[in-house]
Amino acid sequence: MQSWRGKSLWLALSASWLLILLRVFPLLRLAVPARPWASAPQGWPRWLDTELLPSFSQPGELPEDAPQPPQAPRGGGCDWGACFDASKCRTGGLKVFVHPVAGPISASHRKILASIESSRYHTASPEEACLLLFLSLEVPAGECSPVPQQWNGGRNHLVLDLHPAPCPQTFQLGRAMVAKASPTVDTFRPGFDVALPLLPEAHPLRGGAPGQLRQHSPHPGVPLLALAEERGGWRTAGTDPSTCPWDGRCEQDRGPEQTHPGGTLPNATFCLIPGHRPDALHFLQALQAGCIPVLLSPRWELPFSEVIDWTKAAIVADERLPFQVLAALQEMPLTRVLALRQQTQFLWDAYFSSVEKVMHTTLEIIQDRIFGASAHASLLWNSPPGALLALPTFSTSLSDFPFYHLQWGSRPVGRFSALIWVGAPGQPPLKLIQAVAGSQNCAQVSDRFFPHRAISTDAILSLDAHSSVTTSEVDFAFLVWQSFPERMVGFLTWNHFWDEAQGGWGYTAERANEFSMVLTSAAFYHRYYHTLFTHSLPKALRTLADETPTCVDILMNFLVAAVTKLPPIKVPYGKQHFEATPPLVPGGPEPQPTARDCINQMAAGFGYMPLVSSRLRLDPVLFKDPVSVLRKKYRSLEKP
Amino acid sequence: MGQVYLEREEEAACVIMCASVKYNIRGPALIPRMKSKHRIYYITLFSIVLLGLIATGMFQFWPHSIESSSDWSVEKRSVRDVPVVRLPADSPIPERGDLSCRMHTCFDVYRCGFNPKNKIKVYIYSLKKYVDDFGVPVSNTISREYNELLTAISDSDYYTDDISRACLFVPSIDVLNQNTLRIKETAQALAQLSRWDRGTNHLLFNMLPGGPPDYNTALDVPRDRALLAGGGFSTWTYRQGYDVSIPVYSPLSAEVELPEKGPGPRRYFLLSSQPAVHPEYREDLEALQARHGEAVLVLDKCTNLSEGVLSVRRRCHKHQVFDYPQVLQEATFCVVLRGARLGQAVLSDVLRAGCVPVVIADSYVLPFSEVLDWKRASVVVPEEKMSEAYSILQSIPQRQIEEMQRQARWFWEAYFQSIKAIALATLQIINDRIYPYAALSYEEWNDPPTVKRGSVSNPLFLPLIPPQSQGFTAIVLTYDRVESLFRVITEVSKVPSLSKLLVVWNNQNKNPPEDSLWPKIRVPLKVVRTAENKLSNRFFPYDEIETEAVLAIDDDIIMLTSDELQFGYEVWREFPDRLVGYPGRLHLWDHEMNKWKYESEWTNEVSMVLTGAAFYHKYFNYLYTYKMPGDIKNWVDAHMNCEDIAMNFLVANVTGKAVIKVTPRKKFKCPECTAIDGLSLDQTHMVERHFQHFRGRQWWFSACLYWIIKATQGSIY
Repeated sequence: MQSWRGKSLWLALSASWLLILLRVFPLLRLAVPARPWASAPQGWPRWLDTELLPSFSQPGELPEDAPQPPQAPRGGGCDWGACFDASKCRTGGLKVFVHPVAGPISASHRKILASIESSRYHTASPEEACLLLFLSLEVPAGECSPVPQQWNGGRNHLVLDLHPAPCPQTFQLGRAMVAKASPTVDTFRPGFDVALPLLPEAHPLRGGAPGQLRQHSPHPGVPLLALAEERGGWRTAGTDPSTCPWDGRCEQDRGPEQTHPGGTLPNATFCLIPGHRPDALHFLQALQAGCIPVLLSPRWELPFSEVIDWTKAAIVADERLPFQVLAALQEMPLTRVLALRQQTQFLWDAYFSSVEKVMHTTLEIIQDRIFGASAHASLLWNSPPGALLALPTFSTSLSDFPFYHLQWGSRPVGRFSALIWVGAPGQPPLKLIQAVAGSQNCAQVSDRFFPHRAISTDAILSLDAHSSVTTSEVDFAFLVWQSFPERMVGFLTWNHFWDEAQGGWGYTAERANEFSMVLTSAAFYHRYYHTLFTHSLPKALRTLADETPTCVDILMNFLVAAVTKLPPIKVPYGKQHFEATPPLVPGGPEPQPTARDCINQMAAGFGYMPLVSSRLRLDPVLFKDPVSVLRKKYRSLEKP
Repeated sequence: MGQVYLEREEEAACVIMCASVKYNIRGPALIPRMKSKHRIYYITLFSIVLLGLIATGMFQFWPHSIESSSDWSVEKRSVRDVPVVRLPADSPIPERGDLSCRMHTCFDVYRCGFNPKNKIKVYIYSLKKYVDDFGVPVSNTISREYNELLTAISDSDYYTDDISRACLFVPSIDVLNQNTLRIKETAQALAQLSRWDRGTNHLLFNMLPGGPPDYNTALDVPRDRALLAGGGFSTWTYRQGYDVSIPVYSPLSAEVELPEKGPGPRRYFLLSSQPAVHPEYREDLEALQARHGEAVLVLDKCTNLSEGVLSVRRRCHKHQVFDYPQVLQEATFCVVLRGARLGQAVLSDVLRAGCVPVVIADSYVLPFSEVLDWKRASVVVPEEKMSEAYSILQSIPQRQIEEMQRQARWFWEAYFQSIKAIALATLQIINDRIYPYAALSYEEWNDPPTVKRGSVSNPLFLPLIPPQSQGFTAIVLTYDRVESLFRVITEVSKVPSLSKLLVVWNNQNKNPPEDSLWPKIRVPLKVVRTAENKLSNRFFPYDEIETEAVLAIDDDIIMLTSDELQFGYEVWREFPDRLVGYPGRLHLWDHEMNKWKYESEWTNEVSMVLTGAAFYHKYFNYLYTYKMPGDIKNWVDAHMNCEDIAMNFLVANVTGKAVIKVTPRKKFKCPECTAIDGLSLDQTHMVERHFQHFRGRQWWFSACLYWIIKATQGSIY
């Protein structure tokens, strides 16, 4: 009995143990493999009944939601679709009328007016205009400029407001857009208003100072940081991570630093700019100096933020995280620093260096809104040479332009059109045509003035009836052009120089070690430059070129150099042609006075001298190498 | 681990057996008489084995036991079992959304402070069921899509389960569709979240905002400072730089297969597929159809469909029935018209079909418009101008249309196609704002993979001719040829633009000559001793290099004169992003061998210059040392060869540009050389260049290998 009791007790115990274990077992099983991930996050649970969960919208609910009539713009708010009537612009393009300003105007206003009047969009009649520009004047505090006559509720108006403290809300904006220098983020209406840069009083009308960057990478000795100071100067700070230059908390140990008086440009890799609005002036300074702007929680809208991708040229950081920002700046990879530095310079040169550029950019932005789908692509705005020089009316396809082949992964078309200018009717230059057509890359030749549309290839070989070139010269020059589609590739060159005696620019056709222009009487260039020549150059310069034929060459070279900022390219030219065709070089060693005037007038029209000199010539690889002539591809180039 | 299992299973089996013993002794009649102790012992033993086998088999084939091990770490529960939270009627309600919120005013960035990886940490609140005082649920606990969304976040790198380290909080309260919500109670539920704090750093996802009759364009639930990822913002409610505009997810994305359709002409020019369009708009659309005939197709919902056919998947025009969304692939442009709400799910379907959306919804903030360039994939037409839509679209050239179609499809694939894609893009946008120095670029967001592969962004893109005054630094790599080294130094030091000379002493067994023995030159001369005899030492970005231009020159290149070197520097100034060198080489594809080969014979093309004498930008030293792809640097060091091929490849790869070869020529007098500056009178310098630039990515390494093999056979120098 005793043993039975003991056994049954034992059995009961083991049975309960079994039951417990059976329950625990699955849990144990779960626990075992979980061990290696014990520290891993638990995560959102995988619900067993995921399949049974309802969808967020019932089938049919999405398409069936109740239709509603169009809404009127609410609360006086405006956006592009609601407040701007673009239909007027579609027919005639963007035409801008400036309301006449009553009373005295300041120098900066005069510059603005002049720059708009010189633009291709300007019109003198308000009826024709689709955009009416109103200059809000600096008036005694409390008052506002009177509303102009054809105000029309502000419809299709752009109010230019360049002063940091404009007249307050009393001004009835109506439906007008506001182009304002550094507007505060709260009042800025994206896609409708335009944010302008805060320009200094002495900003030049055109041309403008070039960017200060002289080398791509930062010089090793340059300090890492410069901090904008309230008085208008810059203070360079050490790279010690324990200092937080803008934060009062660590004021005591700032490390070695220097203070620079106002007006000078910072010489540092990064420029810290506090977020308050008056500091926006520092922004342009940093941009010009090639110092990467680091904006600390800016309360103002960055200039032209609608089109310019500022993340490529500046860093918008949070002022509340000083140590993190400093650490991030110090650890920033060199590749990024290089890219940011170069972008600051490009943006400065393309959009900010003169009042004219700023105003034209403003109009271009509005033009882009009107264009809609055929506006500038973002790449056009944000890579050299910039949107003012890349016209979307030419093409919406990036590979049609000479500038974007690398970024777009495309190549220029491997054909060219020969364009032969024949001044007087006479015998067509048969020999020349023969030579040019001998090139297997030649797509079309014509001996008459081409309408631009008929040119179907990217490359144009421009020739004079007097030119004499050989097939292999043309072939080689075209090969070179394909590697430099944005530049002019030519055979005959001129050089410009500063003439101390005359106090002006001069140029010479003398053969020297340097050159800065190639003659269009024998040169390859991209057909886009025809469009640019006709549509973007100021009318005054074009009439000048029409009057003096030599000026055309100079103007074309000015234009290409202003776009590329690089010299043209010279390729070898058979020796006999030099002697054979002296009239090719108009003006000879001593150019006529009219031509000399021409280069000076051009320089004045551009506001600066865009030409860049080069000292080299590109030859075929085996050119004049001591190997058998038979091995050379361009052997005829070497014939004496 | 398998080992551990087995043992545990047997342990369990033993226990099961022990129970069965009990039944066995209950049936004494069946068991032959044995000595009781022995009998029990044997039965026990037998049962252990038997039950052990059964148990092993059972657990082997148990459906749940063969799941992947990673799932085992996750709890599996039913949504119905989640804890219930009762909300008292008088619990606090957050304030309405603050329209003036910006990241630097309403967002607590300190929470994101400690993060070395520049990634925000996101915490997800656990799921609860909220009921009011009467026990009536506030909303559906969670929808399938919101569950998917939270799962996606939880599986991403952003997720953290540590609430104290989180920077962004995502409530598990589902507000995707406002129609399913009780607004006041949902707001109360939000307010009682443990870290709510006026909604700071909280992110709400909403796709269908507003409700009848006025259909607000943002979620009506009071949410104070919380960020809203909303699908249907108008410019009036969207807080630029704070909220995120997201697409309305289309359930058809998962339900229907729709392979990509290549470019080419499509049957209809303009298509409207939305069934519920306001009569006014429908009139406009039908007028367009009447004017342009076949090219325009306006579809409506079907009225006379037979039973069992999903009406969502059909559209009709008169009596013709079309499959939706397949019909979208037949059109070039597709109208996306706003309904009561601005955000329409049809946008997702349209993009997917590679149809260019024509967005007719004034003031609509397009999805992810903060980062996506919608100009590249859509056409926006003001509602007033609807009748002109056709002519606006016709002015777009065919090439651009094809570009837009590709772009539309790419947007869908990258950012629209699943809830996961939408969630991750939203978090990435917020992440980019908080860590702007690590943000994705415009190209990374917008360029389709085909463009990304083909494009090159030259790191030295700015057209800039460095001033001559800057000069260059010459780096001479030497081992022990002191005599020829001194000759090179003497010659190089005559170059006017030289600013510093750096000798890299690569011999660890021998000390460089004493200071007094070095030639006296006019520029600073520095000797750098290296720790190891490696070829890469030549390309190390030494701190001593202060100029941008670097001349790499071997200690045995004595044939170059100082004039030639000066001219090389002049050439480099005009092409600072290229390698400018003297001896050139060509790479060729050998059709017979099916391999790349290396040509040093006189040929008509050059694709490389030897770095035994070459000018280049010092940035390439940095790239060579730190950014060289793959194992190439080590390979070069191990084999003591091929470094110039590696450098040539690197530069060509990064800039997409060819090298420049400068040829010195002593005997030829050129007519143009009337010297005006440092160039000598009796020498001409010719620049040779080659025309074939190479940018291989895949064959990089193998080509280099092959060259080295060839080179070691004696053809390099």
